Amino acid sequence: SPTGDSWGIFTFLCAALCNLPALPALNCSEELGAGQSIQQTYDLTRYLEHQLRTLAGTYLNYLGPPFNEPDFNPPRLARAERVPSATVDLDLWRGLTDNARLAANYRAYSRLLCYLRVLDGQVGTAELRHRLSHFCASLQGLVLSIGGIMSSLGYPLPAGPAGPPAPPGMPTAPNDFLKKMDDFWLLKELQTWLWRSAKDFNRLKKKVPPAVVTLQLEARGF
Amino acid sequence: DSHIQYERVGADVTMKCGSMDWDAAVTWTANGTDIDESHLNGSYLILKNVDLSQSGQYSCYEGSSWHLKYQTYLRVGTPPKEPVLMCRSNNYPKGFYCSWHLPTPTYIPNSFNISVIHGTKDMVCEKDAVPKNRCHIRYLQLFSTVKYKVTLTVTNALGKNFTTLTFDEFAIVKPDPPESVVAKPVPNNPRRLEVSWQNPSSWPDPESFPLKFFLRYRPLILDQWQHVELSDGTSHTITDAYAGKEYIIQVAAKDNDIGTWSDWSVAVHATPWTEEPKHLTTEAQITETTSASTSSFMAPPTTKICDKGAMVGSGAMAVCWTAGLVMAAYSVLFI
Repeated sequence: SPTGDSWGIFTFLCAALCNLPALPALNCSEELGAGQSIQQTYDLTRYLEHQLRTLAGTYLNYLGPPFNEPDFNPPRLARAERVPSATVDLDLWRGLTDNARLAANYRAYSRLLCYLRVLDGQVGTAELRHRLSHFCASLQGLVLSIGGIMSSLGYPLPAGPAGPPAPPGMPTAPNDFLKKMDDFWLLKELQTWLWRSAKDFNRLKKKVPPAVVTLQLEARGF
Repeated sequence: DSHIQYERVGADVTMKCGSMDWDAAVTWTANGTDIDESHLNGSYLILKNVDLSQSGQYSCYEGSSWHLKYQTYLRVGTPPKEPVLMCRSNNYPKGFYCSWHLPTPTYIPNSFNISVIHGTKDMVCEKDAVPKNRCHIRYLQLFSTVKYKVTLTVTNALGKNFTTLTFDEFAIVKPDPPESVVAKPVPNNPRRLEVSWQNPSSWPDPESFPLKFFLRYRPLILDQWQHVELSDGTSHTITDAYAGKEYIIQVAAKDNDIGTWSDWSVAVHATPWTEEPKHLTTEAQITETTSASTSSFMAPPTTKICDKGAMVGSGAMAVCWTAGLVMAAYSVLFI
């Protein structure tokens, strides 16, 4: 809905600005406990999930059949395991510590962002380039937002994806069809991560009380 | 010895009298009643274009000795049409269930086989004792990118058919409706109704997988529903109810982020609190108390809004001019 989109943009901007670890002097970080940042990050994942639906629809149409068919259900090829999967054992997921939960999200979206940026450089149509770059900007905001929460809770940030987007040992697709398959799975993983993050941040919301974190912010001289 | 024989509706059936020769003299009976010789071709019984009413026990007796030579039970039916299959997760993230039925009866026994494939893995869907035609699966993994493919095959003596469903883990999430919906009037508030409900008991983990709710309500006399979406909490106060009108209220639930809305809950009825008018005749008072909401609170004299002389209408629908005008004004606003 239109109102949902403007709210999403607002929360994204606030999250991006107020959670940048590099800018401790901002006033609004004092009022924002991590509890509130988690709510904003949650809202951002919902906004991104909504954006992705449109982006994926356009992109899959660009790839053409069978990728844009609703019941396209290809087998997972071994080469498609480059992106960290959201899939997880139920009990394991429940038992994740707050640190592990946040770190998994941070790592996943950092990697996904890299791959999306590569895609952005390759696509043909202007409309797709525009949509992709807008989405990448929002996704960047999400990564920063998660990083901000981790910093404010005193957790170390996982080592970012340094170097070129394609990690060593991961060959580029040998043909056009396999390249399109890679793109298909990238979008699928991204969509699944956004669904998972909503649940991750729901759990974090309940477990991180805002009051505790405001104290930590003060102790760090924010 | 006795058999069962299955034949399609409309088929032509030839029954042989066991090992008797074609030209032997025999008598056939259907459910004990002799069959006319016109249906016989030698010792064979010919039934043309059979229908359901011809199901039954057919027996063949040797002409003179009346020895029972052959007996069969004829069941007339149809091969199965494509079955109807539905899969749903009302207990996310525990798993999902699938249930099925045939769109038209076959009139003969059917057996169902269900297979669930997740990527390369075969999963076992455990059949439920009750209801029949239902099975359930536990998720081993959450947040899967690979779709589930469920195939239901139905087989009977006359043929087989099947149907397949392919879906993502998130697409089939649909909770059961909210439970224990209660609506109560609010004392001294003629336009309010307090509604409360509970999470469906089948939803295993509302803490980590919170539900959001959709409330709809309307006075019985109108067809148009009013809607409220609530992102948390299991209660809501309606503040714009028409005074004195009985309302029907329902609630639905949905996972906060994924899947679809539940069916509507059982409907509850409630009428907002109304002030007990003091100076009506005994008869009018009895009509008032039986139709007004459950309020034992007596309106104090200072809140009297009209004189008995200004009453319009009678009994339960008695209103004074001022209240009538106010209600008319509100109705115009809402149309």
